[in-house]
Amino acid sequence: MSFWNQTLEIARVDLRVERRLGDTLRIVLPFAVVALMVFPLSLGIELATISRIGPAVFWALGILFGMQVALRQSAADTQERRDLHALLGVDPAARFVGRVLSGGVLMLAFLVVLFIAMVLIYGPTLPSGYWPTVLLGTVLFSIGLTELGTLAGEITAGLRNRTALASLIVAPLALPLVIGASQSLEALSRGTGILPWVLLMLATDLALAVIGVGMARPLEEATR
Amino acid sequence: MTRIRVLFSVAAAAMTVGLWFALTAPPDSLQGEYSRIINVHVPSLWLAFLAFGVTALGSIMWLWKKKQRWDRLASASAEIGVLFTGIGLFTGMVWGHAVWGRAWDWGDPRLTSTAVMFFVYLGYIALRNAVDDPVVKARRSAILGVVAVVQVPLVYFSVNLFRTLHQTQSIRPDGSTMPAEMLIAMLVNVVAFTILYVALMAARTDVARLEEANRETELLAGDAVKPPKLSEVGDV
Repeated sequence: MSFWNQTLEIARVDLRVERRLGDTLRIVLPFAVVALMVFPLSLGIELATISRIGPAVFWALGILFGMQVALRQSAADTQERRDLHALLGVDPAARFVGRVLSGGVLMLAFLVVLFIAMVLIYGPTLPSGYWPTVLLGTVLFSIGLTELGTLAGEITAGLRNRTALASLIVAPLALPLVIGASQSLEALSRGTGILPWVLLMLATDLALAVIGVGMARPLEEATR
Repeated sequence: MTRIRVLFSVAAAAMTVGLWFALTAPPDSLQGEYSRIINVHVPSLWLAFLAFGVTALGSIMWLWKKKQRWDRLASASAEIGVLFTGIGLFTGMVWGHAVWGRAWDWGDPRLTSTAVMFFVYLGYIALRNAVDDPVVKARRSAILGVVAVVQVPLVYFSVNLFRTLHQTQSIRPDGSTMPAEMLIAMLVNVVAFTILYVALMAARTDVARLEEANRETELLAGDAVKPPKLSEVGDV
């Protein structure tokens, strides 16, 4: 089986498990939308303020709940499953890329729905060219956060305080992604170029991909 | 132990010289006496960058050679790096309060990204504390040590990348923007802090070595060295 076939198979199985368990769409997403509604309730009826902070709240919730998507229970392999993959000769790098692929798809779906909810609830003023920039930012943000989540999930696999520890690792390291995503929208509103922010996210994604693939074997051994 | 005592003596002497330079250098014409904080702030953050770089190096070397001494080097350096990042953040906030009028300014990406770096390495230490097995601990923290260093350049170049209140680098390839006396005082302190780092590293890696030896002794001796449970002793 080629590398890419292994990758796609891992991603396919992951998505099938997620479809059965429904961690992302049935639990994390509704919780994130509720959190989206908490901010206007705590601010009071200040429509101008609510409209202005909408995109910022979206990225803040994107990272907080995105971590839950990346560290979802369905993405946590049991030791038996890891051993089975090793015995079948699955390339650890293919396992990492497959994980990122499936997690990225889920993350993207989650963020798109959350963004639509934010637009409906907060009613932000969106300048022209906003949607393609949001989509590009969301894709790059999803890839990077999933890469980080996959790395942190593997590093903390099997530990008693896994969720809190992995979040502590992911949240600060995701800073370049949050800055890139939020500043690209700010730049669009100001009428300045978005290229530096897109490049920042792209560079972060690439660096994490190189580290993830390069570290795939030690990551696989990390839980033994 | 003699080696560590000598290192700490040299560090104490160097820090004394650094303090003398810091107190005798002329103050900045605008910031006055507050500008002397630079002699602690810059060396602390220089050490933080150095320490996290050494952590990354130790992590890579552990993944390559699988020798426990590289793990000791990486973990000791991370702990010292966190300590000096904390000092750098605190002195930066004191300086900011005096010069900008507030301790924390969101218009300063260097401050924010340094705080983030601080938390990344707190996560590194938390990960190490969560794992008992020394090899598993070394492997997991080595991977994180490599991942974590990716954001260090972002912290360093944040003053160039973003619009910020924070000044850009004072020492550049084309020269320095600081007066000579202030620059010399700061560089003397950078050297003094670096010697202190070496002394702290030597002490911390020695402690780590003793901890490992102690753990091995416990493993070899097993229950023989453990106190009996109260239920086994009965009423006393």
